[in-house]
Amino acid sequence: MTIYNIYIFDKSGILLFYQEWNRLKQSGMTREEEAKLMYGMLFSIKSFVSKISPTDIKEGFLCYKTSKYALHFFETPSGLKFVLNTDIHSQGVRDVLQQIYNQVYVEFVVKNPLCRLSEPIQSELFKSKLDAYVKQLPIFSAKSI
Amino acid sequence: MADETLFELLHLEIVNYVLENNEIKNKEKEAKDEDLSVIEYIGFSTGFRIIERLTKEMPRFKDELDTMKFICTDFWSAIYKKQIDNLRTNHQGVYVLQDNGFRFLTRLSNGKQYLEAAPRYVAFTCGVIRGSLANLNINCLVTAEVQNMPSCKFHIQVQRS
Repeated sequence: MTIYNIYIFDKSGILLFYQEWNRLKQSGMTREEEAKLMYGMLFSIKSFVSKISPTDIKEGFLCYKTSKYALHFFETPSGLKFVLNTDIHSQGVRDVLQQIYNQVYVEFVVKNPLCRLSEPIQSELFKSKLDAYVKQLPIFSAKSI
Repeated sequence: MADETLFELLHLEIVNYVLENNEIKNKEKEAKDEDLSVIEYIGFSTGFRIIERLTKEMPRFKDELDTMKFICTDFWSAIYKKQIDNLRTNHQGVYVLQDNGFRFLTRLSNGKQYLEAAPRYVAFTCGVIRGSLANLNINCLVTAEVQNMPSCKFHIQVQRS
């Protein structure tokens, strides 16, 4: 069970942060192109999900799964989007994303006066806290399956 | 619970506001050093008044060292939710208070990043210490030294007349 990488977007689509732990295959695009592609996909899927939904929609798009990996999505009320790619056996990822927002992003980015909220995150402290948090998760292991 | 966050956010907005004001006023002059004296004075007034509130039930302090110990324990816990980690003195009026997890610096960084910005966030506290001691009849000079965030040292020099 492992976590491959994480993307954090703000409400206007700017990539604030990207970190990878276990990525085996690159996409062949630059980071900006990949970020734009990811954001465009999220936007379209969210709108598609809410239009096609046969019942009242509560949370909307949560994740997609392929035979090799799963992409989990979490959006905060303020429009921040957290995307996490994990393997298909991981459980409870939604809570993980919520905790990353509560305990790492809010503490070390929102409360840091030198981090401006619509700019890519430069703080080393945020990076190391996020790293430490992810590595202590039970669904993370350094070997990929 | 929310008041801790509120205090931190308010503090950083005060710092930003004072610095922006300075930038507007000093557009013609080249102000290289940031003017933190306004923030320090805000801290001074705050400290002056809060010490009345915090010591209203306590008897008088035996001596200066006792006062310093009070600052390190009760006073610091009431404001920053923890105690000072290390107090040193040369018994000649110079005291060094070391806090290894200073509340306003723990969110900034874990070492050397953003070190140039650190003085702005300790100026208020220097003022609070100076104000509190002034109301306890100890006139002093307080400066702060930040080498490795989030730990921070406050140097207090008592001025005897």
